[in-house]
Amino acid sequence: MLTYILRRLLLMVPTLLGITVVVFVVMAAAPGGISALSLVEGQNLEPQTKKALEDYYNRLYGLDQPAPVQYARWLNSISPVGFAQDDTGALTGWPMLKAPDLGISFRYGRPVMDLIAERLPITLLLNVLSIPLIYVIAIAVGVRAATQRGQAFDTQASVVLLGLWSVPTMLAGVLMIGFLASDQFWQWFPTGGLSRRAALDMPFLPQAEVWWALLALLVLVFLFAAAFMVFAARVGRHPRMLAGLLLGAAGGYAMIQDLDALNSLSSLVGGGVFGALLGAFLARSEWLALRLFVFGSAGILSGVAAAGWLMPAPMIPGFLLDRIWHLVLPVICLSYGGLAFLAKLSRSAVLENLTSDYARTARAKGVNERDVLWRHVFRNSLLPLITVSATLLPSLLAGSVIVEAIFSIEGMGRLAVEAVQTRDRELVLSITLISGLLTLVGYLLADLAYAIVDPRVSYD
Amino acid sequence: MTETVRGQSWSQRILSEVALRWGARLGIAWIGLLTLLAVFAPLLANSHPLLVQDADGWHSPMLVHLGPADTTLLGIFFLALLLVLLPGRRLSRFLAWLGGAVAVGILSWTLVSPPSLVVYEQYREAEAAGEYQRVIRAPIPYSAKDYLRDYADTGLESPRASEARMHWFGTDENGADVLSRMIHATRIALSIGFIATGIALAIGVVLGGLMGYFSGIIDIIGMRLVEIFEAIPTLFLLLTFVAFFGRSLYLMMLIIGLTSWSGYARYVRAEFLRLRQQDFVQGAIASGLPLPSILFRHMLPNGMAPILVAASFGVASAILAEATLSFLGLGLVDDPSWGQMLNQAVQSSTFNWWMAAFPGGAIFLTVFAYNLIGEALRDAVDPHVQSGKAKIPAKGTV
Repeated sequence: MLTYILRRLLLMVPTLLGITVVVFVVMAAAPGGISALSLVEGQNLEPQTKKALEDYYNRLYGLDQPAPVQYARWLNSISPVGFAQDDTGALTGWPMLKAPDLGISFRYGRPVMDLIAERLPITLLLNVLSIPLIYVIAIAVGVRAATQRGQAFDTQASVVLLGLWSVPTMLAGVLMIGFLASDQFWQWFPTGGLSRRAALDMPFLPQAEVWWALLALLVLVFLFAAAFMVFAARVGRHPRMLAGLLLGAAGGYAMIQDLDALNSLSSLVGGGVFGALLGAFLARSEWLALRLFVFGSAGILSGVAAAGWLMPAPMIPGFLLDRIWHLVLPVICLSYGGLAFLAKLSRSAVLENLTSDYARTARAKGVNERDVLWRHVFRNSLLPLITVSATLLPSLLAGSVIVEAIFSIEGMGRLAVEAVQTRDRELVLSITLISGLLTLVGYLLADLAYAIVDPRVSYD
Repeated sequence: MTETVRGQSWSQRILSEVALRWGARLGIAWIGLLTLLAVFAPLLANSHPLLVQDADGWHSPMLVHLGPADTTLLGIFFLALLLVLLPGRRLSRFLAWLGGAVAVGILSWTLVSPPSLVVYEQYREAEAAGEYQRVIRAPIPYSAKDYLRDYADTGLESPRASEARMHWFGTDENGADVLSRMIHATRIALSIGFIATGIALAIGVVLGGLMGYFSGIIDIIGMRLVEIFEAIPTLFLLLTFVAFFGRSLYLMMLIIGLTSWSGYARYVRAEFLRLRQQDFVQGAIASGLPLPSILFRHMLPNGMAPILVAASFGVASAILAEATLSFLGLGLVDDPSWGQMLNQAVQSSTFNWWMAAFPGGAIFLTVFAYNLIGEALRDAVDPHVQSGKAKIPAKGTV
């Protein structure tokens, strides 16, 4: 195993080299290319000053050198083994080991390392939150679609998932901002950024003026959510539908009432009726997980509402809640596409295993269907899901370019767009290197996880 | 059952099976509608009246202002219509159509030269001045680049906001009619989808075919290349390309094609590795056929099915790629594009819902249509996914 990992890590080096060569060639071959001219362009300067500035940049970044030399110099500076360079770029010696240096960004005038250290955690935070969400929902939907193959749920889910997969991320983001964040419709979420300025001074956790207020809030939310979920799980279909009808009507009414532009009687009634129908439809579902989710969230909302009604004491939301509040829309926007893809994949994986010989054997032994599904079939269906996790990370990274642009989040995606727009050689190459490295490490981890999960696979 | 199927080639069987699925039918219908809109765009949305009658008699400003792209599309469309109606072998008719299309294109680009200075306002002004006795206008009397300079108050305007000018889908930030821009943008969306995927397919098939056929050292080097292109996030590579090479439609097609071939290469390589061992390929090699003949006449048709599936998903993602680039402000500057219109939906904290709903909806429906077709193709090709009501027996029919 160890030799395998070592070999894979060594194989990454030529691939990474190739990636940076491709991107560098694109930059260098472009008309205009990377030159000091593009840096001073657009600034309103006298010709002498412009010339001086150009010379300065040329000296500073070695931009007047031939492209292969520039690339070799960049390679030398990022590699831990190589020549030492002084400030003018002249080679001074061969110290064998030195600190790798990603250089200085042209535009920001700051070390690229610092910029990436600032931005990468934000993008990773978005992705780390999205991946579990994607997997949990995708597996729930996919397994249910597979077990109910050909029935209404399966066909509906397959159309809805394909539709969801086809929704462009920018459309979803724009619609979410427009309807849920702008002041023309429901202003429930912030329009962009990762935290309010005020939240930066707040304590990390929420705080209240009286010590028991938070506890009471938690207890109330827990009680309501638990009561609603028990109701959803235990009660028969008709009372459930009635409850869904009432809850939906109240919710629809409240939503329309929240909106100044639509606050007429007919739209209030319309909202109520639509909410009632939706609530009844969701409550009617035979799918326990969906019911628990719907009733649970309704319970949490009513718990919060009840707490607000009982205790009007002001509360400081705290940094954490504020951050979560800002992350809701971007994370949804980032995850729905992968979710649809993965749900379809898990459906076909489970379907293939449900008809396999070992599943039939287990059924013949008298194992009940639930155990056949979750203990036998599901474990084997995980294999393709693990393989695809490697391709999920790059697609999420690409998705965060769009999501960060829409929600004005200062992450790697924004940095990447800025870098290519300003032709920042050092930054473009470093971002390529880092995202390529992340992708390749993702592939490696997926292969290793594959070997751990499936004992038949061995790399020795 | 077997009798009715006999005489059909495998590809015909796949196509007829695809056409039976309602999803694919809807998708094909939508793409057909878009094609019609793209071909007849100048007749549907145009500031130049179709026909006017003034002191000099009848004339048609629309015809005078047709550009070479318009005439090429119209010519190709009517040629196709004519050839569908004519009898003859399918292949020869297709080749005739291809040749005709090239001829029409060359003729249009050399002969057709519309006036370079276009004044859209002149017709409205002339009509207001009473110079025309009769005017027949297009259903949407605004061109895609008609910024309504004769009105002072142009800008973002919600649908049907003003009585004087009827804009069914509103206007964009420059004052141009959104519906008209959307109709003209179907050309860009469709052509980007087809041509970019065609380029990617060509590169992928050639490289993947060589890798699969020769295997060995060529395969190892080729797979490294594929890996390199897969490890760079496509969107980032696209952004780099577009930011450094400038924004033109043809360049964008080329770039999207150049960045998305790796998937096809993988598929073709896998297919060719499998086919290489089979008798008919060995036979072709033994009879001394030239390499292109072995690769493209004998092997490729047998490995085409999974590639077609990938290609129809690829068209969807090429359209998405163009929309994304335009949305990020790296797309075409003046020409209409759905993504660029979507970009105007949320600006300076006001939400212009019509700029999100209509162009965004068009992108969604088009991508959805291609995905539906791709899904149906995959189900038809994949013998495992024969539905319970499968009409065609899976084995022994070909």
